[in-house]
Amino acid sequence: MLDAFDNKVADPYPLEEYKVIGRRGVRRNDGVEKASGSARYTLDVQLPGMLHGRFLTSPHPHAEIVAMDTLAAESMPGVRCVLRYDDPDLAEGVAVSGHELNAVLALPGVAHFQGEECGAFVVADSEEMAENALKKIKVDWKQRPFVLDIEKAIEPDAPLTNPEEFPDSNLWMVHNEGIGDVGKGFAEADRTIDFKWTFGLNTWVGPERPCGVWRWNGDFAEVWVKQQRPHIAKRAISTWFGGIPMSKIDLHCPYQGASFGGWSQMAWNLAGTYLAALASRRTGRPVKWAFNRREDFYGGNMDAGVFYVKVGFKLDGTITAVSMRAVTLNQDMPTFGVVAHLIENTKIPHVQGRTEAAWVNKGHTVPTRCEMNINTYTVNLVCNRVADELGMDPVEVALINDGAEGHDIEWLNQRKAEQGFEVRDSLHECVVRGKTAIGWDEKWHAPGAGRLPNGRMHGLGFTWTHEWDDSAGSGEVAIMFERNDASVTIFGCRADVGVNAETAYCQIAADELGVPVETVRFKHQDDAGFYTMTPDTSTNLSVNGWAVRNAARILKQKLLETAVAPRAKTQLTCFPPAFPDLEAQDLDVEDGVIFEKANHKNQMSIADFIGPSGAMGPITSTVGEPLLVGKEGISYPYRGTPPMFDHGWQIQRGTYLGVRLRFCRQAYFMEVEVDTETGQVEIVKVVTVNDVGKVINWDGCEGQAYGGAIMGIGRGMMEEVVYDERTGIMLNGNLLNYKIPTMMDYGDIETIMVETAMGYGPYGSVGIGEDVATVLPALLGPAVQNALGVWVEGFPITPDRVLKALGKA
Amino acid sequence: MPSGKQTTTVSHEVISLTVNGQTHEIPVQPQWTLQYVLHERLGLFGTKEFCAEGACGACSVIMDGRAVLSCMILAIECGGRTVETVEGIAQAGHPLIDAYVKYSCMQCGFCTPGFVVTAKALLDRNPDPTVEQIKEAMVGNLCRCGTYPAHIKAIQEAAAVLRGAETAQGGAGREQ
Repeated sequence: MLDAFDNKVADPYPLEEYKVIGRRGVRRNDGVEKASGSARYTLDVQLPGMLHGRFLTSPHPHAEIVAMDTLAAESMPGVRCVLRYDDPDLAEGVAVSGHELNAVLALPGVAHFQGEECGAFVVADSEEMAENALKKIKVDWKQRPFVLDIEKAIEPDAPLTNPEEFPDSNLWMVHNEGIGDVGKGFAEADRTIDFKWTFGLNTWVGPERPCGVWRWNGDFAEVWVKQQRPHIAKRAISTWFGGIPMSKIDLHCPYQGASFGGWSQMAWNLAGTYLAALASRRTGRPVKWAFNRREDFYGGNMDAGVFYVKVGFKLDGTITAVSMRAVTLNQDMPTFGVVAHLIENTKIPHVQGRTEAAWVNKGHTVPTRCEMNINTYTVNLVCNRVADELGMDPVEVALINDGAEGHDIEWLNQRKAEQGFEVRDSLHECVVRGKTAIGWDEKWHAPGAGRLPNGRMHGLGFTWTHEWDDSAGSGEVAIMFERNDASVTIFGCRADVGVNAETAYCQIAADELGVPVETVRFKHQDDAGFYTMTPDTSTNLSVNGWAVRNAARILKQKLLETAVAPRAKTQLTCFPPAFPDLEAQDLDVEDGVIFEKANHKNQMSIADFIGPSGAMGPITSTVGEPLLVGKEGISYPYRGTPPMFDHGWQIQRGTYLGVRLRFCRQAYFMEVEVDTETGQVEIVKVVTVNDVGKVINWDGCEGQAYGGAIMGIGRGMMEEVVYDERTGIMLNGNLLNYKIPTMMDYGDIETIMVETAMGYGPYGSVGIGEDVATVLPALLGPAVQNALGVWVEGFPITPDRVLKALGKA
Repeated sequence: MPSGKQTTTVSHEVISLTVNGQTHEIPVQPQWTLQYVLHERLGLFGTKEFCAEGACGACSVIMDGRAVLSCMILAIECGGRTVETVEGIAQAGHPLIDAYVKYSCMQCGFCTPGFVVTAKALLDRNPDPTVEQIKEAMVGNLCRCGTYPAHIKAIQEAAAVLRGAETAQGGAGREQ
């Protein structure tokens, strides 16, 4: 199986025939639970005697606690425990990250943004009682100067916004990336342009608030986590309280009310669970902790910032150089860069990007469906600005510049062939289908030239980049045939955030094993010792798909080898094979039946082969025959098939640059109408075109496409976290004033899947979960520019920004 | 141990509430919302809290025939009322459940019960809604995963099933 890891080449062993992989009509395995209200989330967990924990949050954007009086809070009815920042048990840093291990204070005494959890953690009989007790805590704050604007934060005389973490400067990291020599590239250009964009802070808005539950069962830890990375949660937990053996931690990862990567990535996000554990130990009762709705608004997406770009290009649309400087807001992970997609996807020979990671007194920003946002906006705005300057069709500019790492599409095509892929021009296929769907050739016009009879301005926009599923990741699963009915259980603890990859994995297992997909269950919520890759970092379909396939192929082989082998040598006799005088390669499996390939009549269902458990233990049963023991010479019609169970794994070393070339592309088209009196933008139609290599689950792919489009529309035109400049207070931490799209906020969405089989995932697949939501927001830019004839520099493209671009505000 | 602990507590009033056809006598505090009582006291955790301020529809239930936001209603005002939650709708075998699964109307699923409830209330009063009418009825239900397009199809199909017609798509399943 080791050669399966070499997935720098096309899948060498795809299936010859697919029964459910790629077929429509496969019912999702979580559908009934979720539609009927019986799906349980961490926030729904109720345990006898359970208490509720809530955090004190800072009213100030930057302040330290000088003194804190919790006596009144402690005295309130129903309050069982108040943990304070100066508690000796909380003096040291502890591993509370959801992403990697670290050592930070679970309950800090300094706040670096208004709303930050700090100072106290109150545990009471109800959430309401805990909340009331929080109000009784008297804090003597020493306020410090604060900064909200990132460019002001990196001015030489700016006060430090987070001296505890960044004692030297608010510019805490500079990340450089690039190829070639941009000076040379600009010199070769016929023209150069400079432009700028800004992106306001937007956030994930996870419907289920961050929360967790802890119960001590003696010295066993039982934990319910709302975490995208349960294996990291368990590893962190094992370092707490002097060390808890992994085998003494029972982790539950229930259905997750979404976080889109946001919450799960923060360096601190297990702190509530840690404090719940400590409070649970002190009170002797289980503890559930939760943020309130407002608290979930403080973190944000990492596409917020100010971006300066210079582009050099030829008159025929060939781009010769791009140089970019980005000042980004509170990124926890700035090394994803800002020009990586230009390097990965284009023939542009000279590209340089400089990311200045600045820190202000707001919450952390993290990959939120996903970290590639800025990179995709760069491809979009560079290509569209060049097209605009030249009066060219932006689709043509994209096709001209398609390639990889400074090489053109012909070079890329040679690499496809070398790596065993069928050579297809993914971008070309995507744009042909997308243009037809949106009516591009009929409707596209010069910018500002599309006034409609209703007085509005019509606009069409286009963007593109590669389809990704290529990060580093690993996963392991186990698969077993259950006794009695040979239904299949896949074990792999995994956060179900709604992408429904679990059904896709069941499809893979079904086709690989030769069983009906309805008999396959992916059991992901409990901790059976196998952990999958998480639904983030753009890896999980590929990595877990391979792991399931690897496990299924090994298990199927084991099944067939066992079917032809003598069974169960016992004290009495040795039982003959189920399929005597044959070899494993003479058999196959279909619809849950093992059969001889040369003679289908010679068959046995897997259920009959494995047999039910019986009075003589789980492995053996006499199925209707009387028990007779101790008599030589009597043949017993009973079976003793060993456990039909095996496991598989996958390790993917892909990184963003240089490890694997990206062959699959995605393209998006948007049609808008803009009211130049009010500045309102109406989305008439969005066409999403994703080359996913091979569709495994249609509902899953399409759901990620239209779902991502709707999230992208929100991010691009209506979502922004707003802070009061004078006080540093977040103003719109609620769903009334932070507006996410409703059912009436978009027009028509058409989702198209292209299948070139040029992905590195199983069967040539590549992912889609993050792509659309990440690429689409900035598509509003060129769409609105095509409508108005002027560029709106700031995102989200709200009416005030449109009017400002028109010189009306 | 804290000293001088307060001993005053909030009073409870017993209300009679019929939920999914079963009548309960429940002691409630005056500030408790209907959502809190359903979720925390009656174990009907399908009625979810997403925004807790009437902005998202996740807490929707049907009360005396109308879809209402249970996070915005005080339980103490619900004495003698009849409530239908998503569990009751599912238990009654409403075709919306099957249609929602068929059209994959859920992703993370947290908002899905609220949609099912609002859709059921719509179909109770309008058995043949147009797309526009569906959108207007459902606009108060927010879905962060963006499942909206699927709901239109599912509601149309459930409506057709209820009307006894053939499925809206003209067949038992979709072909690739």
